[in-house]
Amino acid sequence: MKPVAVVSGTFLKHWRRWAPVAVLFALCILISLFNGNFLTFGNFIRLLNSAAIPIVLCMGATFIILMGSIDLSVEGVVALTAVIVSLLVVNDISSYAISLWAVPLAILVGGVMGLLNGILHVKLKTPSFMTTLGVGFAGVGIATSILGGATVRISDQTFRFLSLGRVFYIPMAVWIAAASVAVAYVIQERTRLGRWLYAIGTDETTARHAGIPIERTRILIFAIAGLFYGLGGVLAAAQFGQGHALISQGRLFTTITAVVVGGTALSGGVGSVLNSVIGVFIVVVLANGLVLMGVEPYVQQGVQGFLIIAAVALALDRSRLDVVK
Amino acid sequence: MATKKTNDLNMNFRLNRRTILKGAAALGAFGSSFPMPAIAQETTWTLANSMRSVANPYHATFAKGGEDFAKSIGAKYETLATEGNSEKGVSDIRALLQRTGGKLILNVDPNDSPDARVIVEEVKKAGGFVVTQWNKPDDLHPWDFDPNYVAHMSFDGVPTSEAIANELFKAFGGEGGIVALGGILSNVPAIERKLGLDNAIAKTNGKVTLLDFQPADWNEQKAFDITQAWLTRFGDQVKGVFAANDGMGMGALEALRQNALAGKVPVVGIDGIDAAVKAIEAGEFAGTVAWDPLWTGGMGLAIPYAHVTGKIDITKEGHEHREFYGTGIIVTKDTVADYKNNPPKVDYNDLWGKATGQIQYRS
Repeated sequence: MKPVAVVSGTFLKHWRRWAPVAVLFALCILISLFNGNFLTFGNFIRLLNSAAIPIVLCMGATFIILMGSIDLSVEGVVALTAVIVSLLVVNDISSYAISLWAVPLAILVGGVMGLLNGILHVKLKTPSFMTTLGVGFAGVGIATSILGGATVRISDQTFRFLSLGRVFYIPMAVWIAAASVAVAYVIQERTRLGRWLYAIGTDETTARHAGIPIERTRILIFAIAGLFYGLGGVLAAAQFGQGHALISQGRLFTTITAVVVGGTALSGGVGSVLNSVIGVFIVVVLANGLVLMGVEPYVQQGVQGFLIIAAVALALDRSRLDVVK
Repeated sequence: MATKKTNDLNMNFRLNRRTILKGAAALGAFGSSFPMPAIAQETTWTLANSMRSVANPYHATFAKGGEDFAKSIGAKYETLATEGNSEKGVSDIRALLQRTGGKLILNVDPNDSPDARVIVEEVKKAGGFVVTQWNKPDDLHPWDFDPNYVAHMSFDGVPTSEAIANELFKAFGGEGGIVALGGILSNVPAIERKLGLDNAIAKTNGKVTLLDFQPADWNEQKAFDITQAWLTRFGDQVKGVFAANDGMGMGALEALRQNALAGKVPVVGIDGIDAAVKAIEAGEFAGTVAWDPLWTGGMGLAIPYAHVTGKIDITKEGHEHREFYGTGIIVTKDTVADYKNNPPKVDYNDLWGKATGQIQYRS
């Protein structure tokens, strides 16, 4: 009797682990039944294109959430870095024109904002919720005051290649997002930092007793997250060919939703950057599919909300059964 | 030596701290308003424009219009930003009324329609003068608050949207399917612009069909994703994209560009932002409607100022001068050069020169 129970328990564990993937597959099958165009190569590319920036942002946000904190500065950092990068490449307002050199600079600015998040949060012991909200507002504020409400129009074709360019039919932004996932996965799996952040997210007191440098890890993770948001800002500017303070509107909600739908628990310690990739695809496929199926706009938001809750419910259940230590 | 050095360091520190504090104070002031340098004052009235945020081009220009007028009469001027928060909008206005002892001329684009009533009541109580823009409840009228509620200005979304939709149809030959991006569903301009589009489509007698309509909530990113999905769903059936504002139009245009369709499938927007004007020059946008926020920003102060200086008596003006529409300028490939070379001028003495009729209530 007992072995049977164990087997079914493991099966359940496995099933929970793969729940987000199953949700994604079910969605894809459902949508393609309504509209055959969903499964075309063209649409596949479009889905990847829509997913690229949210994936980059989610790599940073997942780390923060795994640690049991939250980062609400996403939109502020993206707005500021997008404005900075757009002013540094060839554009209609300024004349620095340093082209691709602007990319590492903007990413670095993102890292500094993240570092600021971490230092304020750890040293002043303010909750990450308020700290990052404040830093985010500051980011949008600085971006606004730099431009005074104007929009920078980017005419640098080398820079725009980051979004418009295609390598093996796949948009450049998608390759960059894939590289971000690889980097984040290595940090998560192959570094001490990665193991520490799970430990902190699971039980900070125990982690402290085990001698993990909690403060330093937290600050470093916030800074790394900032680097990812900085890259997200760069890609947003490349995608729209412009920079303005409102370019990041709505990014925060998508990012957090995707992380949670992917199965990373807001309580920390459970989840993975790979889960977030699945989470992003669930959100993107859903938005794409509702339009493809011709669901009434008035009904769409309701359906979206309902499906997100359903996906989170599956993920929550799983987290109780499968605590990562 | 050592002591001196420490002293120096201390002084440096103090200096730094003072600088930082100053900076923080400036930032604090910056958050709530942008105090403009006080210039030689010829009037004791303070002028102010209040709007959502200076982060968007329309409102930034609106604020500049107010500043230009204040400069022209040498008055003190302030910009108040609500940042999308009604409470903040109202309390900033209340604070400014207090500070100026009611000697305030206010040109306000309320964050939400109900805010207009609160603002008007506060201004009347304090003895100031107010002009509202775009948003107000239908049953709130300037003549019910004489003389303090001077006027309400708006733009008629229905005919302008119909006109720009026709420009779109023209751009692809007047026959085929289009897709349309709308604003937030409950928003008055969003409803009016949809109505204008529907009218234009109805008048083509079935030659132009609306393949799909989706609200993208004035958001560029959402517009991008929806347009991508449309390209999958409708493919080359999409002959044109109608966007209820330029921001969403830019999002749609970039989605088209990703699919090598920019310039092939025409896009129209509304608002007349710079990016859209440049896209018209590049042959990627078929047109936009420019609202002339420099005029609304300045004239919303000039009319009440004319009243307080005794040039006009606002209570004796007809309803068509108290609730009126401004003029939207249609910019297309044919008119864009002219629009750029002769930007609309503002004549502060011609108070109602650009008014185009009394506001209608459709619901």
